[in-house]
Amino acid sequence: PKPNQNFRRTWNREEWSAKAQERESHDRAASKLHHEAKLAGKKFHRPPTPPDASSTSARASRLNLEENLNKTTLVPAGAGVGKRGRGAGFYCEACDLTFKDSLQWVDHLNSKQHLHAVGERDEVVVATLEMVVERLAWLKRRREEEGVGGEEVDLARRLAERARAEEEERVQKREKRKVARRERKERERKLGKEAGFGSGDGDRAGGGGEGDEEDPDAVAMARMMGFAGGFGTTKKRS
Amino acid sequence: MAHLADAKALLDNRGHYTGQTFHGVNPLLLVEKIIRERIFESLYWKEQAFGLNAATLLDRAVELTYIGGQYSNQRPTPFLCLTFKLLQLQPSREIILVYLNDPDFKYLRALAAFYIRLTWSAVDIYRTLEPLMGDYRKLKVRGMGGWRMTYVDEFVDELLTKERVCDIALPHIKTRAMLEDADELEPRESLLGSEVESEGESDVEEDKGANSGDE
Repeated sequence: PKPNQNFRRTWNREEWSAKAQERESHDRAASKLHHEAKLAGKKFHRPPTPPDASSTSARASRLNLEENLNKTTLVPAGAGVGKRGRGAGFYCEACDLTFKDSLQWVDHLNSKQHLHAVGERDEVVVATLEMVVERLAWLKRRREEEGVGGEEVDLARRLAERARAEEEERVQKREKRKVARRERKERERKLGKEAGFGSGDGDRAGGGGEGDEEDPDAVAMARMMGFAGGFGTTKKRS
Repeated sequence: MAHLADAKALLDNRGHYTGQTFHGVNPLLLVEKIIRERIFESLYWKEQAFGLNAATLLDRAVELTYIGGQYSNQRPTPFLCLTFKLLQLQPSREIILVYLNDPDFKYLRALAAFYIRLTWSAVDIYRTLEPLMGDYRKLKVRGMGGWRMTYVDEFVDELLTKERVCDIALPHIKTRAMLEDADELEPRESLLGSEVESEGESDVEEDKGANSGDE
């Protein structure tokens, strides 16, 4: 086995130290602002929204709340505590917060705090009449293209298709049953040859045909005395 | 001019609401407190009814497949959530009429009719909703007891006569008789028109007329 090589340096030192410097300077600037406000006796206010923030609009696609369901992942220790930083659950990149609950998560995505962090104002553009009319026309066109709705439901055709499907299913089942019965008969015959005595236990329905060859009384007597499986094992073959 | 993304800001109870009032109150208060709270806590409201304006609401409205108030364990239907959204957005008259008059989407029409009944004045309600009595399309209703079927014209009739529809107590408006007496409204002209007058004459006509309220 190869010796553990994880101690070798695979990362770029300069790049990461530059990142660390940047983060530290940001933190220092922020804490400086807090400190100044405190000294002046005033409350520290979040910096105002930049004028080029875009206005909030509706979600174009559904949120995917189930993608990590039933998945097991490795997380760093302390992942269950508090909201800050990456942990187990829904993680928000922009705000560096983790949420354990899907409802809390959606609430956060709608919150002022998050919208500002993503660069959106928490206001929605008012729609004008033209926009409404245009949107409705677009939706109609899209619906026609998809071909949904408005299709004539041909009951006769659907019934015919359903009948055909059922017939196919029935045929398949019959085939399967035949194969299964044939297999069981093979097994019975083999056992019967080995034992010369009762049929294998447990196969009641399938062994019906086979069991008639042996004397049913002898079989019953043998089973009572414990000779049911012949010279083989009495373990139940399912 | 913009809508606030968060509807809760419009529910300031200190009395500072400065927007348009309907029936004398903040329109969001037309819905009872319990129902309001349930709407705010529902996933549909948070995920899909967030950040809509009158145009993007159409995306959601055309995806509606049933009307109703609350269903199973007191969950609000998407229909109810979108009605509440309309109450928050308070679109103009023309926009609502666009919603109402669109012939392709019947649930959008039901939504617009519901909004009209909740917010417009009595005369306008009767004038605008009575022509919808000619729409015989089916609607699915989901309620606490399960699924049901109704028709667009039955739904409109419920809106005009009943007191509580889709778990919202409808604001009181004067009955048609009172308005006619006060001369604010013309006497009702049924869509069946001449068929009603000649009803005594032939049996065929009677069977043809579906829901004539004026016998």
